[in-house]
Amino acid sequence: MPLFVAGVSHRNAPVELREQLAVDEDKLREVLRDIAATGVVREALILSTCNRVEVYAVAEVPGEARAATFRHLCSHRGVDSASVDTVLYTHTESEAVRHAFRVAASLDSMMLGEPQILGQVKDAFALAQSCETIGPALHTLFTQAFAVAKKVRTETEIARHAVSVSFAAVELAKKIFAGLVGRGVLLVGAGKMSELAARHLIDQGAFPLYVANRTWARAQELARALAGTAVPFDELPTALAAVDIVIASTGAPDPVIKRETVSRVIPARRGRPLFFIDIAVPRDVEDTVDTLDGVYCYDIDDLKQVVDANIRERAREAHRAEALVEREVAKFLVRLGDVEVIPTIVSLRERLEAIRVGEVKRTLARLPDATPETRAALEAMSSAIVNKILHAPITKLRESSRAGSPRSWLELVHELFGLGRGRNE
Amino acid sequence: MHLTLLTLAIVGYVAATGLALAYLVQRDELLHRLAALATLAAWILHTGALLALAIDLGRPPFSSLPEAVSVAVWVVVLLEMWLERRYGLSRLGAFVLPVALALSLQSTAIRPLIVPALSGAWVWVHIGLALVGIAAFVFNFAGALMYLLQERQLRAKRPGALYYSLPALATLDRLTYRTLALGFPFLTTGLLLGVLWAGAAWGSVFAFDPLALLSFIAWAVYAATLAGRAVGGWHGRRAAYFAILGFAALALTLGAGLFLPGKHGG
Repeated sequence: MPLFVAGVSHRNAPVELREQLAVDEDKLREVLRDIAATGVVREALILSTCNRVEVYAVAEVPGEARAATFRHLCSHRGVDSASVDTVLYTHTESEAVRHAFRVAASLDSMMLGEPQILGQVKDAFALAQSCETIGPALHTLFTQAFAVAKKVRTETEIARHAVSVSFAAVELAKKIFAGLVGRGVLLVGAGKMSELAARHLIDQGAFPLYVANRTWARAQELARALAGTAVPFDELPTALAAVDIVIASTGAPDPVIKRETVSRVIPARRGRPLFFIDIAVPRDVEDTVDTLDGVYCYDIDDLKQVVDANIRERAREAHRAEALVEREVAKFLVRLGDVEVIPTIVSLRERLEAIRVGEVKRTLARLPDATPETRAALEAMSSAIVNKILHAPITKLRESSRAGSPRSWLELVHELFGLGRGRNE
Repeated sequence: MHLTLLTLAIVGYVAATGLALAYLVQRDELLHRLAALATLAAWILHTGALLALAIDLGRPPFSSLPEAVSVAVWVVVLLEMWLERRYGLSRLGAFVLPVALALSLQSTAIRPLIVPALSGAWVWVHIGLALVGIAAFVFNFAGALMYLLQERQLRAKRPGALYYSLPALATLDRLTYRTLALGFPFLTTGLLLGVLWAGAAWGSVFAFDPLALLSFIAWAVYAATLAGRAVGGWHGRRAAYFAILGFAALALTLGAGLFLPGKHGG
């Protein structure tokens, strides 16, 4: 399959260049149609995100086609193509397959395992389909790329652990409470970041929600926005006894949640754990609070540390994902190879079968007294001969396609058996 | 025949334990699958060994303590495989299999008694109930151990392999509570029947042997934990420490029964 991909990505192209090259949807249709109109490529797809701009295409002359497609892209964006050449990469054939799989599976992303890229690839595919620039080759390639991406997500933990502070906090809460359904949340302070973390918790089923803030109006406003209840600031201890998760983010210069306050509500909690997420700087929760039994407290640095560990975890999983992609590329190439040799195998069989049937008929015509047993024996013998003759060439064809060089063998078989030149000369 | 099978089963348990522990640290799915396979193979061999023994003896193979412990291990491994699949507790094996292995080694360190140490219907019930209790407390112990390890990870605030591998604290706490609530009635009834039977057989309820004495200590620890949890609102760390203490007493009990002379054999 004369497949290639040409593009620039966050790996080597500076953001200024990527910005210039990035194409919005309407323009993308225009560029795609233009590229198709040149007749150089048979199929084409353009993937344009803020981290990469890539053209996937099928053409018999990759070098030329690649220059042409990118010239189009550059001229559309008003970019001097010479400035692109230095950072432009191209992959052909199996390398292009691997690249497509890795991109879709988020192994080539700036943040490993980020979920957006798969959607972006799917959008690019749909767009190219609507422009009718997707043919059988790109269709097979991307359908498989989507399947591989899904497999990577489910079979490895590359996308599993949070890489943002607010999601890391939610994950920690889950490591303490298992499910978050019915866990009470208290917001102390009404900042943007605590609102975000609270929304994540609510998405996971956390309920009810209380908001305490120095400014009563702001507390009420946020409580309304999150379908919670505003509580006066001096009723903090009561609220502390009721909830399971506390998100603190006030601008207070000194801790607003003291060890003493917390230790007094502990008996009323009857052993239920209490989790403080302290994203305020300076900190809102006194740092000896988490020496209390069943009390956990993560400040912003702790959360960042968890995020770092999660990123390392993703990198670890990326190794497994790469191995998985490698296996999928190999499988895909075998399938493609088989696709290439199957028509030849079929016509080879048809050709020999036609000869066999013809000869059996002629022989039987000269043997009018042949018993049904004799006829059956003739059929069986001739079939056996055909199958034995076919065995070696078919095996060889399949092997050659697996080795990646079926073309000369295909030609040889066509020559030797006179295929593709009519049934009977 | 049964000794050959039992030896093979123990070799299998050794392999399964090693693989499960490696999986805990390495987190490679292949290790997990191999561990599961080794566990299943060893358990099948173990089943064969118990059947062979039953045929040899012409009676169920748990009327002496080493035999009974072997059956307990068989039950524990069966439960381990089931719980792991049912609740997705993929790391349970790393905590249960070492205990199972230690118990099965103990049970072969002594020749199984040819003559049953005990007889009578009450004795079968006594042994059967105690068996279920012990099996439940193996999981109670494993849950508590996992709880303490995960708790340490959360307190250290530096996520390591165990943070990612082990389940949530609440899940583990529930596991230890449920196994305690399940195991305790069995242990209690089992002990009670033992006392009654001892009274009837030896004429005195106080003709105790080392196992009987120690088992009351284990029982007392578990009773205190259960009371603490049900009434005192104990949770988490304290409950976990008591679970480990209780299991230590139980292990000592079994050790005494197996290695010290007394009415439970040995």
